[in-house]
Amino acid sequence: MGGKRKKSDEWGNDDVEAEEASSKKKTRVKEQLLPSMIKNKEKRSEVHAKLKHQKRLVKRAKAKSRDAALKRALELGEEPPEKKVPRTLENTRELDETVCKPDDDELFAGNDADEFSSILNQQQTPKILITTCRFHSTRGPAFISELLSVIPNAHYFKRGTYNLKKIVEYAKKKDFTSIIVVHTNRREPDSLLIIAVPDGPTAHFKLSKLVLRKDIKNHGTPTSHKPELVLNNFTTRLGHRIGRLIQSLFPQDPEFKGRRVVTFHNQRDFIFFRHHRYIFETKEVKKAESKGKKNKDGKSEIVPEQKTIARLQECGPRFTLKLISLQHGTFDTKGGEYEWVHKPEMDTSRRRFFL
Amino acid sequence: MPRTTTLECSGCPPFRALTFDALGLIKVVEARHKNRQLPQVVERWGDPQSSKCVTAVSIIDRNSHPLLAVARTNNQIEILCPVNGDTHATISDANDLDEDNNIIGLHLFAKQNLELTSRHCSLLTCTTKGTASIRSIEFDDTSSETSCIGSSETWNVCSGGNISCCKVDRNEKFALFGGKGVEINIWDLDNTTKIWNSKPPPKDSLGIFTPTWFTSATFLMKDDHRKFVAGTNNHQVRLYDISAQRRPVFSFDFRETPIKALAEDVDGYSIYVGNGSGDMASIDIRTGKLLGCFSGKCSGSIRSIVRHPELPVIASCGLDSYLRLWDTKTRQLLSAVFLKQHIMHVLFDSNFVLEGTDKEQTTTEFKVSKEVEASPLKRKKSSKNKEHMLDGRERKKISRQSKERRMSEAQEIEGKTHGLGRKLKLVTQK
Repeated sequence: MGGKRKKSDEWGNDDVEAEEASSKKKTRVKEQLLPSMIKNKEKRSEVHAKLKHQKRLVKRAKAKSRDAALKRALELGEEPPEKKVPRTLENTRELDETVCKPDDDELFAGNDADEFSSILNQQQTPKILITTCRFHSTRGPAFISELLSVIPNAHYFKRGTYNLKKIVEYAKKKDFTSIIVVHTNRREPDSLLIIAVPDGPTAHFKLSKLVLRKDIKNHGTPTSHKPELVLNNFTTRLGHRIGRLIQSLFPQDPEFKGRRVVTFHNQRDFIFFRHHRYIFETKEVKKAESKGKKNKDGKSEIVPEQKTIARLQECGPRFTLKLISLQHGTFDTKGGEYEWVHKPEMDTSRRRFFL
Repeated sequence: MPRTTTLECSGCPPFRALTFDALGLIKVVEARHKNRQLPQVVERWGDPQSSKCVTAVSIIDRNSHPLLAVARTNNQIEILCPVNGDTHATISDANDLDEDNNIIGLHLFAKQNLELTSRHCSLLTCTTKGTASIRSIEFDDTSSETSCIGSSETWNVCSGGNISCCKVDRNEKFALFGGKGVEINIWDLDNTTKIWNSKPPPKDSLGIFTPTWFTSATFLMKDDHRKFVAGTNNHQVRLYDISAQRRPVFSFDFRETPIKALAEDVDGYSIYVGNGSGDMASIDIRTGKLLGCFSGKCSGSIRSIVRHPELPVIASCGLDSYLRLWDTKTRQLLSAVFLKQHIMHVLFDSNFVLEGTDKEQTTTEFKVSKEVEASPLKRKKSSKNKEHMLDGRERKKISRQSKERRMSEAQEIEGKTHGLGRKLKLVTQK
């Protein structure tokens, strides 16, 4: 039933478009076209196909007229008509007052006072301890070996039978700045715990969509240079804090010679991790011109003599994180205080994002 | 059109609240208009500095010469004027206190120096290591620097462990201390003697003993120091009665994270509980029944809950850097103010008067309107209250006092709260 309902909705949209074409047609269409009302399946699918065809025609005509308008505007040297921006969940996001503003002096004062400031001001070099849950195998160790190649100055320690609080104590003594715990379930890494060590917060992420290096086509092998870090879209106060937590895992002085870049891209509260190597290449002018001809743009485009383009090669793992909780202080599930916990009652809107 | 749901906040009655945050800033939040507008931050006192993180606060809430004391992590106590934020005096204990020995409890005595001048106050401080002291301070209005400490009395509350809660009862005769590894002590402040010490609950059926760790405590009634409620780190809320026994009269679990804040209502039996993951609820402590939860997307640990002395409003604040105001009756969110930092404490300044309006009038108006709003729910309690409202204040006061007395008597006889609620009901019906 649900599927049928959806279809009828689509037709409803189509009606609106058809309205522009001809009102006469629309009335005829309307009395015929409620595919959900037709009980004969053959007939129903026939009507459906017909409608779909019509819809495609309308769409094509629209695109054509839009292109024509653009072309004419370019020829006449007028302002091209405005490009329509599609409405997405992100740009219709619910208003959030916690979004960081660049002119907020309290934000910067808070940054100076928080737990990561000594690392981010380069007074301290990050030193990372990576460990696992008690039982792990196959994909877990492979993932850890790749994390070790991504994060400089990271050290893997076997978990053994130590409990996590003891490990935190040990890390404090040995001057580590963060601990990463990879938790596996059914031989598949499924969550990540990042603990900032002396007294910093503990972030618990759900880890999903893990693709290891060997499963990526045409992957590269990373060098041991210090990577550059890209953090995208960490806008709110919570996002800012998470961003700083991630930032404190990496050294703050990237070696640009290595051309390695690590990206944490936040989109709709999912943090996408990618690891690339980039290269700048200069392209010949000829090729660009011929390309232009082929396209038959007719645009009077000024092509630069030498065009530099960046090419990317993906290396290292690829995974997605989602924040479950951010805890004040180091790992303590029983007596810990949370700065932020995901609760089901928060998910009442698809347009509300927390990072 | 995107369907966006906005939280319907009904707005607040006029109030004034002071919030104290992790960077040592004091922010004044006011809702000024009578017709329930959203509260706003109107003033900010102090400079952001991580070493000035507020650890304890206390206020003397009175019409003439109100005072506010603020203890910070650098072991300074500032005495301020809560109206305009002027510093009257600064006391520094930096020489005899180290990093992890902060002032955790602070209380300004309001009643003792009523007859004295405004340039005098006495306060009780308690540090994490258990050093409590009462000192009286004289300060000049002209120069904020000089402050002379008149008399001071210091004693040790505990031998080991860390104190994490310190409360003084309303008559300011007794103080309770408790913390990590410290059972709750009650001290007579007049001659600084320990009058009572709690005992841990017995081992459970599996022989497991949970170590003592009190995180918050509050005295239950206005004029009675004998009953108090304490929250523990292993999410237990316990009711103690000094006159009954040393073990908790009654205890129950609340959710899964440690209890971080407790506040009592003026009616003397309902309490407000806040925990480490941002859940808040009101509980009838006579029966241990959950009256209801305060739900409003609160996601950070609650550090402090305060009941407004007159209006039916409570404020909660915590690590999610929001100040939230709730209606005590309907348990709905009235409004939330984003304050940018982790907030440690909140206090109400109940003597805030709007220009051109009579305070009494507004409060009573709000009360009456709230009654009307609450009436469709039709609880026994609310209707009772309404009666009192109609009958007049005096009778209410008398009846409440007698009720409290009866309650305490009943508890003495009964010893256990479990039967107490039922008994009390019988008594009141008679």
